[in-house]
Amino acid sequence: MTAASAAESSAGPARPASTAETAEALRRSVARQFRRSLHIRTLDTGSCAACEQEIRLLAAPHYDLHRLGFFFTPAPRHADLLMVTGPMIRAFDIAARKTYAAMPGPKLVVATGACALGGVYSSDAFTHGGIGETLPVDVWIPGCPPSPLALLQGLLVAVDRLAEKVRELTFTQEGDHR
Amino acid sequence: MPLWFVRGLRRGVVTTRYPARPDSSAAALPTPPAFRPQALTRELADRLCLVCPSRALTRSGDVLVFDAGACTACGRCQEAAPEAVTPSGEFELAATDRGHLVKRIPLLGEGDS
Amino acid sequence: MTALRQDAGLPGLLSLLGHDAVADDGPVVTVAVAATDTEAAVRRLAAAPGARLADLFASGGNPAIDGDPVVLRMVWGLDSDRRYLVTESVIEGERYPALSDIVPAAFTEECEIYEQFGIRPAGDKPLNRVALPPQADPGFPRLGRPPAEQPADVHAAHFVGGQAFEFPFGPVRGVGVESLYYGLVTSGEELVDLYLFTWHKHRGVEWRLRGRTPREALFQVERTEGLGAVGVGWAFAAATEAAAGVEPPARAMRTRAIALELERLYNHAAATAALCQSTGLAVGQAAAEIALERLLRLNAAAFGHRYLFGVVDIGGARCGPDAAALRRELPGAYGELRRAADALLGTNSFLDRLEATGILTQEAAQRLGMVGPVARATGLRVDARADHPAAPYAEHPPAVATGQGGDVLARFRVMQAEAAESVRLIGDLLEAGAGPGCADLPEGTISRTGPPGSPDRSGLGWAESSRGEALAWVSLDEGGRIARARLRPASVRNWRGFDDACRSQNVFTDVPIIEASFWLTVAGMSR
Repeated sequence: MTAASAAESSAGPARPASTAETAEALRRSVARQFRRSLHIRTLDTGSCAACEQEIRLLAAPHYDLHRLGFFFTPAPRHADLLMVTGPMIRAFDIAARKTYAAMPGPKLVVATGACALGGVYSSDAFTHGGIGETLPVDVWIPGCPPSPLALLQGLLVAVDRLAEKVRELTFTQEGDHR
Repeated sequence: MPLWFVRGLRRGVVTTRYPARPDSSAAALPTPPAFRPQALTRELADRLCLVCPSRALTRSGDVLVFDAGACTACGRCQEAAPEAVTPSGEFELAATDRGHLVKRIPLLGEGDS
Repeated sequence: MTALRQDAGLPGLLSLLGHDAVADDGPVVTVAVAATDTEAAVRRLAAAPGARLADLFASGGNPAIDGDPVVLRMVWGLDSDRRYLVTESVIEGERYPALSDIVPAAFTEECEIYEQFGIRPAGDKPLNRVALPPQADPGFPRLGRPPAEQPADVHAAHFVGGQAFEFPFGPVRGVGVESLYYGLVTSGEELVDLYLFTWHKHRGVEWRLRGRTPREALFQVERTEGLGAVGVGWAFAAATEAAAGVEPPARAMRTRAIALELERLYNHAAATAALCQSTGLAVGQAAAEIALERLLRLNAAAFGHRYLFGVVDIGGARCGPDAAALRRELPGAYGELRRAADALLGTNSFLDRLEATGILTQEAAQRLGMVGPVARATGLRVDARADHPAAPYAEHPPAVATGQGGDVLARFRVMQAEAAESVRLIGDLLEAGAGPGCADLPEGTISRTGPPGSPDRSGLGWAESSRGEALAWVSLDEGGRIARARLRPASVRNWRGFDDACRSQNVFTDVPIIEASFWLTVAGMSR
């Protein structure tokens, strides 16, 4: 979704590469544009209100996301990144698409919390059971709810200022005997 | 409002240094489980899959598939099998691809048990 | 019916309903009322002092069973008698008496029952769309049968005339706030009317719970209103325990109460921060947010979760508090909140915005069946912890804080008084001893294979959450699975007073202040 605008920027792939590598290069080139300043808008598609509380706390003194160059904006036209919570209620499809369409490109979408990632609700007549079907997600932040620290890490990964860590994790504890 | 100004100065700085420095408050957060493959039999894996309320665990042959994205870190699997499951302690879980959150955990081979 | 005495009190009321055995009744009295007597019964109950309609809901009406009747249940809080009265009426056909003509608080539920079960109050009163979205066709999942016909004009239209115009706002709103659609009717500055569309966040939670085991259901219940996980979870667990005949250990009940008071503390801190934000007092907001964050970290230290998910269990408590952490951290964390609140109460520019803003009169609060700090700020003394004391509040009664005036300032003061009382209660409860523990559930309740069947056991549960009385009613089938679960978080009731509070001589910019002082969730209302 951000490909068209990103391809115009500097990091277009010069060497032959696999699709995955190209996509990764594009993602990074977009992310790098936002390294110094990023404006965030939030979208609730059926959360239990806990994710919203954690997002609000990002601006609180303990976390102070402004020190990292992140800002909240209530206006979609000013937003670079959309933080989406909740399992994407079907009745919300139009509002979600309009919210996304109102943002200028290039733009990022961050799926926030277990509901948005498909953990709590299943796909049925009420909800999509996750936001992946409806919006093109760039970064996924697990947690129920994700703590403000986890949200900060997710935002920093989204703008390529922190490396993604979870890719290398195995969620096994080695040790003892084998 | 001078009252608030003085209060703020007296209160000092509470802001985390994260990400430059680790934040000690992260230690108390609930985190997804980490599994001990040596203790995971097929039977135990099936029990864990039933216990999980968010469908984060499924078994596929000799592999336990763990979806850290769907996991709510509720701790039910740890309660069910403390010998095989402990908190991972990882809270930095953001992924740029949904697939990066799905982990395949090998089970004890049938011959080993 | 008509021959009965007018005398007050439970015996008179119950004999009116054909129920005589009062002496050995527990805290919940269940009475069957014939459909034809419902109207008379409601008139009597509505006139009785100390009785209020706490909830109205339906069950039955299974479309798979031909002619399965709908059972209409009312929950009355007989607060002065310290009991709940549950009436059950079997409704044949598609009409029942228009209860909201007698008890206005019943209107939202009448609309909801029409959407979900297809039965409507007598008369031509237009009903509002509450939960199901406009695109829901007759095949859309429901708790019962769909309405026989769904004419477009069944839903009340909003008329805007004269100098007024309508300002639509939502459903996507500001940063970090829940989705909600406001229809603001204004003449430019003054707010003439306000209505809400509440169906954007309907997730069909009660529909989802059917057929699940109580423990599986509890996971979803806690995530229905995340900022009220303990209150709503406790009400649901208590209802299930009543249905299954289980009594949790006393230590576990004290554990639940500690978690509930911690939930109250952090919510009141969050409401304080939101009030500062809505009045533009950034320094006050920062001070309140420091308190809020410290309270959330205390939750994590004491129970392992910032929002106390997973504390309540069916039959007890899953984890116990870290008493040392609570004793060590609570005074400091609460101290932050108290100092912030004291400073706010000395800041005139802040108080000016709160005073006489968003007034909800006591008469309106009573009429609409409001609960929690919003009701108490009007002077009504409703608090489930005091009115319907279950363990451990019978041994540890709270001092109920009330205010007067019913404006935002009164609500702010009530919240601060309650926060202080919560800290005292947590100290007492810790002293009495708290820990995890769980009563054994009877065989079958945990079975995963029991076939969903007809309900045979039911129960009512309640808890005083930070927003007010949370209710739940559960019926279990033979396999111990949920046949019908009704969740009524306090948010369900209190939003209906929001438009009243907003209309009372307020301007546009007062709406966020009033919303912060109500401190409700859309998630809890829309379920």
